[in-house]
Amino acid sequence: MTKPHVNGKRVLVVDDGMTTRLYYRDVLETAGFGVEEAVNGVEGLERALMGDFDLLIVDVNMPKMDGYEMIAQVRVDPALHEIPIITISTEAGERDADRAYAAGANLYMVKPADPALLTETAQMLTGVEMAR
Amino acid sequence: MPLIKARSHDADDDPVAPDTAGPADADTLLAAATASERRAAVHALEDSVDGQAALCRRLAIEPSASVREAILAALIRQRSPAIAAALLPLLRAEEAPLRNAAIEALAEMPDEVAPHVEALLADPDSDVRIFAGNMLGVLPHPRAAGWLLTALADEHVNVCAAAIDGLAEIGDPATAAALEAVPARFPGNSFIDFAVRVAVRRIGGC
Repeated sequence: MTKPHVNGKRVLVVDDGMTTRLYYRDVLETAGFGVEEAVNGVEGLERALMGDFDLLIVDVNMPKMDGYEMIAQVRVDPALHEIPIITISTEAGERDADRAYAAGANLYMVKPADPALLTETAQMLTGVEMAR
Repeated sequence: MPLIKARSHDADDDPVAPDTAGPADADTLLAAATASERRAAVHALEDSVDGQAALCRRLAIEPSASVREAILAALIRQRSPAIAAALLPLLRAEEAPLRNAAIEALAEMPDEVAPHVEALLADPDSDVRIFAGNMLGVLPHPRAAGWLLTALADEHVNVCAAAIDGLAEIGDPATAAALEAVPARFPGNSFIDFAVRVAVRRIGGC
């Protein structure tokens, strides 16, 4: 198997679903991203503050702290507020997307995220030159 | 500096709530002006049936996270069929924190939730079925894996995904065949294919 090219960008995946976290890890590592995981918004904020991430991928429905609250806290933290955020949720309604954007998300995607679209979006938001 | 919300530590100045209160009194106590007063009211009310009903009503409108946490902790301590029934409608709440709080609390009262699970999994709202699947993955009940197999047959991909995730946590090798049949129902869905492979590997079905 070809070892993925390492693009030097790091992504934090915040989702309480184990298979979802592993899926995003698989997709993003294949595209050359470094990936870390957190299982809820509280852990996500702690990891974000400890790491040097280029992108956050945040679920909405999580225990302890949901995605909207986590995003809002990221956006008022001087150390984190410029990190791009993709919100990925099971909820497809415009209301949910509006709420994510109001909290400070850069992009709202509906689960299950298409791997090619997720990769391209992650590359775009982190400034990685896309493969032709 | 981390901006994770600090918890309040103002218990020392909490007012003392009366030992007994009727339904109207309970709602009034829980609507007190300060969060510390409302937390005190939660503790004063949790032992009575009327008080528990008031706590369930208050949970849906309480703006303070610390008071919501106090209410949930009280409801979990006092778990009953009436409390579970009062929490179930919160799965339809617009506010994600409220929904998630309800899921967390319901997962702590498996015997009280059990009579409602089949109705939740047949709910016309796919979001409710998804949240039910999320709850079942952490519900300590002997029938939880069986209910997740029911959810696995759901036509909505994200209900199936919730069921796969739950079975990855609590399933056993006997559930592997049902899991392996799912990708054929969602051809081209790479997430479902991946999730099933992870779940089957975790439960030792291959």
